[in-house]
Amino acid sequence: MAEISFPLPDLGEGLIEATVLEWLVAEGDQVERNQPMVEVETTKSSLELPSPQAGTVVRTHGEPGDTINVGDPLIVFEVPDDTAGIVGTVPKDEAPKRRVRLSANLDDD
Amino acid sequence: MPEATMTANTGAVRTGTQELSLNKAINAALADALEENPRALVLGEDVGRLGGVFRITDGLQERFGAERVFDTPLAESGILGMSVGLAMAGYHPIPEVQFDGFTYPAVNQIVTQIARMNFRTRGALPMPITLRMPSFGGIQSPELHSESLEWLFAHVAGLKVVSPSNPHQAYHLLRHAATMPDPVVFMEPKSRYWQKGSVDFDTPGDLTGSVVAREGRHLTLVAWGAMVSRCLQVADMAAEDGVEVEVLDLRWLKPIDAEGLARSVARTRRAVVVHEAPKSAGLGAEVAQLITEHCFGTLKAPVERVTGFDVPFPSGSLENEYLPNADRILFGIQRVLEYRRG
Repeated sequence: MAEISFPLPDLGEGLIEATVLEWLVAEGDQVERNQPMVEVETTKSSLELPSPQAGTVVRTHGEPGDTINVGDPLIVFEVPDDTAGIVGTVPKDEAPKRRVRLSANLDDD
Repeated sequence: MPEATMTANTGAVRTGTQELSLNKAINAALADALEENPRALVLGEDVGRLGGVFRITDGLQERFGAERVFDTPLAESGILGMSVGLAMAGYHPIPEVQFDGFTYPAVNQIVTQIARMNFRTRGALPMPITLRMPSFGGIQSPELHSESLEWLFAHVAGLKVVSPSNPHQAYHLLRHAATMPDPVVFMEPKSRYWQKGSVDFDTPGDLTGSVVAREGRHLTLVAWGAMVSRCLQVADMAAEDGVEVEVLDLRWLKPIDAEGLARSVARTRRAVVVHEAPKSAGLGAEVAQLITEHCFGTLKAPVERVTGFDVPFPSGSLENEYLPNADRILFGIQRVLEYRRG
């Protein structure tokens, strides 16, 4: 297994921090990609952040009321080694399908 | 970088035989290269603390230290420019370009410095650089994360280009490349990273030229990288129809093993070359021409090319339409089989 840390992204144009309002996931939770993860408040608005990936939550950073700087760790996931940090998907190893049949007279070979 | 900071060798390189996935085989090759050559360095985006997006450099920074395995800014021109300077200073850099499509911003460093420095300085400044890049398609990635750049690198004089197709080859070809005095572009078939295979650490076998991946007497399929395994599957299908296909894994794309090509096609008298890059001015044309030069008198049909289309390598959702699939390769074989001189 590998750990993937997700830092707080810039949630607007040039915002430098956000305040945690409520965690919607807890340590040990298995989360799916895009599942609501945490509610935060910035100087512009409050909003719900979706999980950037599937995995098991190892750690969350910040209690409700705590301020987190953009770029600092927000949440850490544990993911299987095979999918850690992958862009794209691991291809399935299955026999390809065929529709074309060969026909040839190879007698003269 | 002061030499005193270099981590001392702590253990021997691997021996025996082990079942490894292709990405772990490359990880093992890097570890052993770092172990064996104190001047070897690994650098690139996320290769250090993270261990690489494909886990290729997993654990190397912990083992060899951040002076020998280090993260760089997101700037490929910087990664390869730095590699030029390190090579001038006597190091053997093993830079990683995170995805083959990210090479384009560094083409200047590759073409105007890495490929030419030895030539320019009449041998005074060789460029022992092993440039690794996850290559080709097959993982449904976003745009520019999948390319097939052998057409570019094989044409640049001064570079060597190699692509392994299985874990055993990946380990030994990388170890071999990392001892060469020349710049080598090492194209890793990223869709095969999870393919497992036996790696015999003690018996590299011949690391030059091509290898016959499957013997057959009716037709030679020429391929490299990820297309080798697809061609092996197609050879199974052809066998069901009574056609015995030989699969030649080219491995070295510069220089190309013309003798190995000729040896195979002189026997089978028919050839189809398969690659992922677009057809026009692709390496398939070079392969076809080499076969023509060496086997013109015995060929039963013109060499057929089954390739990507003449469009930019598409993102994941269109990848299956773009890449040569079993049916397209079988069609290519059929065209060659039914060819009659007019």
